[in-house]
Amino acid sequence: MPGGIDFAVLGLSHKTAPLDVRERLASAPDQIGEILRGFAGLEPVREVALLSTCNRVEVYLAAPDPDAAIAALRRHLADRAGVDELDLANHLYARVDVDAVHHLFRVASSLDSLVIGEPQILGQVKQAHDDAVTHRTAGGVLAACFSGAFRIARRVRRETEIARNPVSISSVSIEFARKIFDGFQGRTVLLVGAGKMGDLAARSLHAHGAEVVVTNRTLSRAQEVAARIGGHTHPFEDLHSALVKADIVIASTGARRPVLTRALIEAAQKKRRGRLLFLIDIAVPRDVEPEAAQLPNVFVADIDDLQRLADEHRDGRRTHADRAEAMVEQEVARFLEAYRGRRVGPTIVALRDRVLETARAEAERAVASLPGLGDREQRAMFELADAIAKKLLHRPQVALKKGGGDPVEGASLVTAAQRLFELDVPEEGGPSAPAEATDKDGQAAPAEDGRPAGQAVGR
Amino acid sequence: MATLTAVQILAYALASALFLGHLLTTRPGATRIARGVLLIAFTLQLVDIGIRCVGGENPVSSTREAVGFVGFLIAGGFLLAGLRYRLSAAGAFAVPASLTLLVLARVVPAEPGAPRMGALGMTHVFLATLGVAVFAFAAVLAVLYLREETRLKKKRFNRMAADETPLATLDGLGLRCVSVGFPVFTLALVTGAVWIARLGGLAASEARRPEYLMAVAAWLAFGGLLLARVGAGWRGHRAAWLTLGGFAGLFTVLLLYVLRSLS
Repeated sequence: MPGGIDFAVLGLSHKTAPLDVRERLASAPDQIGEILRGFAGLEPVREVALLSTCNRVEVYLAAPDPDAAIAALRRHLADRAGVDELDLANHLYARVDVDAVHHLFRVASSLDSLVIGEPQILGQVKQAHDDAVTHRTAGGVLAACFSGAFRIARRVRRETEIARNPVSISSVSIEFARKIFDGFQGRTVLLVGAGKMGDLAARSLHAHGAEVVVTNRTLSRAQEVAARIGGHTHPFEDLHSALVKADIVIASTGARRPVLTRALIEAAQKKRRGRLLFLIDIAVPRDVEPEAAQLPNVFVADIDDLQRLADEHRDGRRTHADRAEAMVEQEVARFLEAYRGRRVGPTIVALRDRVLETARAEAERAVASLPGLGDREQRAMFELADAIAKKLLHRPQVALKKGGGDPVEGASLVTAAQRLFELDVPEEGGPSAPAEATDKDGQAAPAEDGRPAGQAVGR
Repeated sequence: MATLTAVQILAYALASALFLGHLLTTRPGATRIARGVLLIAFTLQLVDIGIRCVGGENPVSSTREAVGFVGFLIAGGFLLAGLRYRLSAAGAFAVPASLTLLVLARVVPAEPGAPRMGALGMTHVFLATLGVAVFAFAAVLAVLYLREETRLKKKRFNRMAADETPLATLDGLGLRCVSVGFPVFTLALVTGAVWIARLGGLAASEARRPEYLMAVAAWLAFGGLLLARVGAGWRGHRAAWLTLGGFAGLFTVLLLYVLRSLS
C-alpha cells in the first residue's frame, strides 16, 4: 500500500446520491452511540467515526484490512437503511489509505462542499471525531488523520477565506496571471522586495510549479524569504538580468520611487525577445512606473486593480479553491512523511527503560560503595532513585503522548526524544499509542470489546 | 441539392448566431449547443462535398468549390482545436467566416466553360485552399489575442472569461498555424506559377493582375512574420497585427477571384 495507513472512508454525498438516499442513511444525534458501536462491532473494523450532515454521510475507519472493512460496512449500511446493497453501492464511494486521508482533508477544508468554503463543515468533522472519542471507537489512526484534517482546514480558512484581503489579492494576481500564461510550470517568478503579500503570491505560484527568484536590498532578508518559499536569491543591483529571465514579477518593496522604471523594463523586453511579462505591483507607493504598462506584451496590475478585482470576486469563492487544493496536496504529503516517522509508543517505552535502568544502576553503585547500609536503607535508596526517575519521566511522557497525536509536530518530538536519550527504537508501520483516546493518567482507554484501543492499531 | 445547400447555410447561420450570442451574453452551456449545431452543419457540408465529388465536381475543381472548401476546413479546424483548447470565443469569428465563404461559393454561378484544370491545377487550388484556411484560423486567433490583450491592459476581465484561453496559448497556436500555413502556401504559389507557365505563361498585362500581386504580398507578410518571430522575437501584439495584415491580403485575393468569376 502506498501510504501504509490502515485508514478508509465509505460514504455518499450530494455529488453521488440524491436527497432521498441520503435521508435514509442520515442519523439523529441521539443514535450516534448505538450506530458507532454497530460499526465498531464489524470485523475487521478497529476504529470508526461517523460524519453525518445534510449533504453527506461518511464513515471513516481504521482497519488492518480496509477493503474487507469497507465490504462489511457496505452490507451493514444497506441493512440499516433497508435498501438493496447493490442499489446503495451505486451511490457509495470508498477510498483507502492516502486517498482516504486526501478525501478527509478536502472535506474538512470545505473543498468538497456544495458551497465551497462554507464554514460549518469543520465543526461537523470535529463533532464526528469527538463523538467517536466519547463512544470510545476512536484510536490513534483516527486521531492522527483527523488532527491533520483540522490543521489543513484551519490553514485553508486562514490563508484563503478568513483573512480575505491580503490573500485574495494574491489569488486574484494568480487568476490574472492565468489569463496570460498557460500554467506556471517552468515559469520564473521574480519577487522584488520581501513584503508579506508578495510572499504569499510567490509561494502559491511556487506550489504550481514556478521557479521563484527573490531579490531585495538587504540580502539576508532575501535569503530568509527564499529559504521559506523554496527559491533562490539574485543580487538587487542586477535587477536587469533578473528581469530578463522572469515571466512574472511581484514587486513589494518599501521604496519611495519606482524601482521598475519603464526604461529598465523596455531594455529587459528587448533582451527577452518580447516574451509576455506580467508585473504585479503590490507596493504602496508603487514600484512599477505606470508608463511601463504601455509597452507591448507587458501587463501591469497594481494594488488598486487587484483590490477591485478581488471585490468583484467576493462571491466567486471558486477562485480560492485551486490554491486550497494545492495546500491539501501539500498537507497530505507532510502528513504521510510525519506519519511514517511516528514511533510514539516504542519511544516512550525505550525512554522509560533507559531512564529507570540508569537510575537503578546508579543506586546500585551507591549502595555498593556504602558497605554499612542495612536492608531498609538500601531499599530506601532504590526507591528514591526510582521516584526521581519517574518524576523526571512524567512530563516528557505526557508531552510525547499528547504531541505524538499531531501529525506534524509528533515526528519531530519523537525524533528529538530518540536523539537526546540515544534511544534505539525499531521502525513501525503506524502509531502505537492512541493520542486522543487516553485517560488523564495516560492509560489507554479500553475499547468497547475490552481490548485496549491502542493495541489494535497499525498492524 | 438546393435543399441540402439551404439546410447547410441555415445550420451554419444558426451556429454563428449561437457563438455570437455566447460572446455577448457569456451564458454557460450555450457553447455546447453551438458546437452541436456546428457539428451538424459541418457534417451536412461533408455529405454535400461527397455528393459533388461523385458528380465529378471535387472541392478543388473550381474557384467556387474551393472557396466553400476553405470555409469547411476552417469549421473543421475549429471543431478539432476545440477538443484540446477552450476556444469558444473563436467560434464567433470562425463560424461566421465559414458561413460567408459557403454563401459566396453558392451564389457564384457554375462555370460551364471553365477549362479542365488537370492534376497540377488542382494541386495548386488544394494547397492554396488549405493555406488560406490555416491562415484564416491564425487570423481568428490573432483577433482573440488582441481582444483579450485589450481587456487585460484595461484590467477588465469578465468573470465568465475564466475559461478563456490564456494569451500565451493563443500566441503559440497562432505561431503554429503560421508555420504550418507558410510552407503550404509557398508550395501553392510555386505550383500556381508552374501551372501558369505550362499553360503558356502570362501576357504582360495579366502578370500585373492585382490578385497575383496581393498573393505575393500576403506571402511576404507571413514570411516576414515567421522571420520576425524566430529572428527578432516578435510575439504577441505585433505578431497578431502582422497576421491580420497578411490575412487581409489573402482575403482580398479570395474576393478578387470570386468577383472575377462573377463578372
